Amino acid sequence: MKRLEATLYHLCRLLLGGLFLYAGLVKADDVGAFARDVANYRILPYGWNYLVAATLPYVETLAGLLLLVNRRVRPAALVLGGLTTIFMAALVSVIVRGLDIDCGCFDPGGEGHTPANMALLRDAGILVLIGLAGWLRGRRERQL
Amino acid sequence: MGTDWRRIVLEAAVIFFLGVALGLSFNFRLVMDAFTGSLPASPAGTEEASAPAGRYPVPVTLEEVRQLLDEGAVAIDARAEELYAEGHLPGALSLPLGQADALIDSVLRKVGKDAVIVTYCSGYGCPDSFDLGVRLLEGGWRDVRVFEGGFPAWRDAGLPVPEGGP
Repeated sequence: MKRLEATLYHLCRLLLGGLFLYAGLVKADDVGAFARDVANYRILPYGWNYLVAATLPYVETLAGLLLLVNRRVRPAALVLGGLTTIFMAALVSVIVRGLDIDCGCFDPGGEGHTPANMALLRDAGILVLIGLAGWLRGRRERQL
Repeated sequence: MGTDWRRIVLEAAVIFFLGVALGLSFNFRLVMDAFTGSLPASPAGTEEASAPAGRYPVPVTLEEVRQLLDEGAVAIDARAEELYAEGHLPGALSLPLGQADALIDSVLRKVGKDAVIVTYCSGYGCPDSFDLGVRLLEGGWRDVRVFEGGFPAWRDAGLPVPEGGP
């Protein structure tokens, strides 16, 4: 049982870490295109789209790295959980307003077009994984 | 012995602000330009800067665009027609990049090859205005500028944005 739990924990954190590291790096690589993706949501004032585009990828990258190297896992998971919750709120507002935009989750300006409802579903899955990783980490720390 | 939430939240805040600081340090210029609505006239080290003169449209700032339009320059909106209809620069012509080849002659039939043309789209990071500018230069128009702040910079400066279709 303990081994199953350990495997599940490492699987969760590696998957999430790799996912956010990738998401952060591809967006940090093309801040301008990502800023346009953010602007497409039509939520933030003009300059703020660029502020988000300039900083968000680095937060994702940093937290993803921490998950990968198995350090500060719960704080990193909290950061990513908070971000994912905000993403989901933004996606809900996109659906409510009926905007047809790319979610801008990964490769900015890429060919892919992930509709908001699919992205929302995916984010919900990610949020579950984040919660699971944080919870399992807490259990491990208490057992030591 | 419960979860040490205070420590976790504190460390999460550190991670978050560290990431923000990193991002800002790498992209400080871009963010500043976005907030002040101006781009440096000749972005050093970019492809445009190293390209031979005359083949690429010249970037202009918000102030320069206002002055050029006052002096009779022609603004051309490279965005989709729906976006144009929701609001555009006063007097701008609509020429979406995707339809440029089909529409260029009819939209620009009254614009002389010596006219000053300013293209724009959805702001920094939107390449359409630049690409349209290149297309116009290839089409024989000699003085083409690109307003990289685009529609968002114009609107956020509180300048008039008339609505309506092309």
